[in-house]
Amino acid sequence: MRNGAEILKLGTLTITWWCIIFGAVWIACYLVGVAIPMLLSSYDSDAARITAETCRALTPILSVLVFIPINAMFMVLFERRGLAIFTVRLGPNRVGPDGYLQTAADAVKLLFKEDITPHGADAFMFTLAPIVFFAPSIFGAMPLLAAVTNYHELFQIVNLPTGIFFILAASSVPVVGIVMGGWASNNKYSLVGGLRSAAQAISYEIPLVLSLVTICLLAGSLDVVEIMKQQAGGILNWNILGGGALRGLDSALALKFSNSAPALQELSAKSFDQVLKTAYSDPAAAALGLVAGQDSMATIASIIAVVVLMACVLIAAGLYMTGACAEINRIPFDLPEAESELVSGYNTEYSGIKFAIFFLAEFTNLFVVASIFVVMFLGGGDCPVPAWLGNMLGGPQMASAINQVLSPLIAIKFVDPPTLFAAIWVILKVYGIVFFAVLVRGTLPRFRIDQLMDFGWKRLIPLSLIVFVLVVFAREFVNVHVGS
Amino acid sequence: MATDTEVDLTPRLKTDEMLINMGPQHPATHGVLRLILTLDGEIVRHTEPILGHLHRAQEWQGQNRTWFQYQALIDRVDYLSGMFTSWAMARAAEVVDGCEVPERAEYLRVMVSEMNRITSHLLWLGTYLIDLGAMFGFPFYPFREREKLLELFEEIAGQRMMFNYIRIGGVMRNPKDAWLSKLKKFTEEFPDRVDEYEAIVTENPIFLKRTKGIGILRKELGMDYGITGPSIRASGVNIDLRRTKPYSVYPKLKFDVPVNDRDGDTFDRYIFRIREMRQSNEIIKQCLDMLPQGEISGKKQIAGLRVKAGEGFAAVESPRGTLGCYIISNGSDRAYRIKWRNPSFCNLSILPELLKNHPIADVMAIFGSIDVILPDVDR
Repeated sequence: MRNGAEILKLGTLTITWWCIIFGAVWIACYLVGVAIPMLLSSYDSDAARITAETCRALTPILSVLVFIPINAMFMVLFERRGLAIFTVRLGPNRVGPDGYLQTAADAVKLLFKEDITPHGADAFMFTLAPIVFFAPSIFGAMPLLAAVTNYHELFQIVNLPTGIFFILAASSVPVVGIVMGGWASNNKYSLVGGLRSAAQAISYEIPLVLSLVTICLLAGSLDVVEIMKQQAGGILNWNILGGGALRGLDSALALKFSNSAPALQELSAKSFDQVLKTAYSDPAAAALGLVAGQDSMATIASIIAVVVLMACVLIAAGLYMTGACAEINRIPFDLPEAESELVSGYNTEYSGIKFAIFFLAEFTNLFVVASIFVVMFLGGGDCPVPAWLGNMLGGPQMASAINQVLSPLIAIKFVDPPTLFAAIWVILKVYGIVFFAVLVRGTLPRFRIDQLMDFGWKRLIPLSLIVFVLVVFAREFVNVHVGS
Repeated sequence: MATDTEVDLTPRLKTDEMLINMGPQHPATHGVLRLILTLDGEIVRHTEPILGHLHRAQEWQGQNRTWFQYQALIDRVDYLSGMFTSWAMARAAEVVDGCEVPERAEYLRVMVSEMNRITSHLLWLGTYLIDLGAMFGFPFYPFREREKLLELFEEIAGQRMMFNYIRIGGVMRNPKDAWLSKLKKFTEEFPDRVDEYEAIVTENPIFLKRTKGIGILRKELGMDYGITGPSIRASGVNIDLRRTKPYSVYPKLKFDVPVNDRDGDTFDRYIFRIREMRQSNEIIKQCLDMLPQGEISGKKQIAGLRVKAGEGFAAVESPRGTLGCYIISNGSDRAYRIKWRNPSFCNLSILPELLKNHPIADVMAIFGSIDVILPDVDR
């Protein structure tokens, strides 16, 4: 660990900035969503009621509007410091204490820079492009908000029954902004960048969507909150490990290790193996066993199905990450802004606030795709430690101690413990994915455009279709989320 | 029917070719090269390099500065391998003057120039990966090792890049024992570092995809264009002045000249530079063991340094190829005429041939692989 000191610094920096981000968003939400309506509730008038309701309804939007700029600012810093560690450098450490304010200073600089519209550019389109690029990342992520806050009452309003469909639809809009900006810049490099982006987005959206469709198929729902709730109860239930195929194992282990008296009684009646057996002899698998006249056939079919499911979902997760990297133009798929070929691609001619918006949107998009991954594959705000293991490790005591400490805040409704824990887990997981993306950025060179297309159409799309078909069959032989 | 009814059979769907200016301010053209590319879609059909943005009249300056002054200037011609330009000029001047170079000085010259070959290849390695789009990660690792060598250069020559260390008749300064032991330590750990680079790059699937089979330089074509250095050795021409026209103490040293057995692509040019770095490291090790005691200069290093009348040519093997210097002296304190043969200039001439029918994304991959230094082209 030659970089131990730097890693430690990155850790403290991350925690400090998380506190800032959380503090700002939490206070804003509390003021608008809880405090003002509480104050207004003492007045018994229609106007007061309508105002209170409006405030509540505006809370999700407000939280996103507060969250995105601060978070993107931190992500830039996180990426720069993280990359610095990978590349034996120090990274920005001069502005503010140990570089904490570097991106704030950068943002101020960008705001005050001259906003140039190049000669011969289509001024209207040129201005519209960054907006079209940025807006979807605000409204597109709304349904996720309901999922990552553990379906808190203030955020229920933004949930949609077809949540993931809406998110994917919204996340494919920004490419229009890139093409628009590339075309309107009156610059050949920008134009090539914009067109490349369109080609790339079309090619890579297919494996991306197919991998998520696979998960929706396992979950039997398009509702992100529903998908998140199904994965509750520890890492074995998460979609990344077989899409719920290990649920039976989880409940068997829970029985085995639970110390409470009723469970003990149940355990005496039902042995560990029997629980496993009932979990892994789905009707379809059992039917197979009946036909063959063998009881173990059903179990074998189930186990094969579990293995297939686990492999398929892992591949789907990889496909999603690949597609998402291409979708948000990150290395190794950053062809639209390929610096060694196209100067800076579609945003070559942009400066000042418009460039800042492009920049902001890029990092917000990274955060959004990481959040989608967390909600769809990593159980959203779920604690990775299964409840039975948590009980053994003294989880409930810790939770009640935290509740004790926070009780004054809970009393004024400032803190809702399930939401708080969910938010903490989500941010940890999302930044884990972001860290992975930074690592990839620090490792890989860039594809060439024709190789990129080959890779997308000849490898990823067939693979995602195969995975989808395999999952269709495999889920018939084991209890996944839907059945249980 | 008359000829005016003949049907035009050329395809009607032909799109216009696009002219695109790459550089001189393009972020990826190292230095200030301007390429006028004629693109058919994304495929390069024709390339025209425009030179001269960095012309500094180095040859003319040689006739208007004293030998002593010009020695300090000439490092700037190929700023990544200043030792070699100094050495080429010193050797040419020694040929003209006929002065003896002490053996210790020759060993020191070999040592510092092989160190310089390593720094030059390391910088090439880092920037080449940037050309391929690995913007942030790997390129910094070679710089870590380069930094150590630059510190050693600073200690012995007082400068990190413009060394002015190799002088007419010898070298400038005697290294201290501490310096030698530091260098020894570096040579011991350097092969591991090269293994590290190879672990990240040589088997990286995206790197292989981007470099294998791209920009193939045919042996005969390369010879016609007068390409020298690792670029042509990667295409199978065994030309390395250190072996083919031995100078200094190279005949006494044991090292291999890696030569390819087929026409090289950009990947070959990469792997042969890596192998050369390993060989250079071996050479430094041997020099450290064999370094004799004695004088370090056969000529007094004074401002009024003179070279006897006459003319002569000498060349050294720089990291980029054959670096030659032709001198006519009339016995005064400055040269009558100096002519340089710069490897970058000759190597760049192959670029339009190599780029033909490659997509625009490969322009930088190929241009980077022939390792051109623009001041060395324009002088």
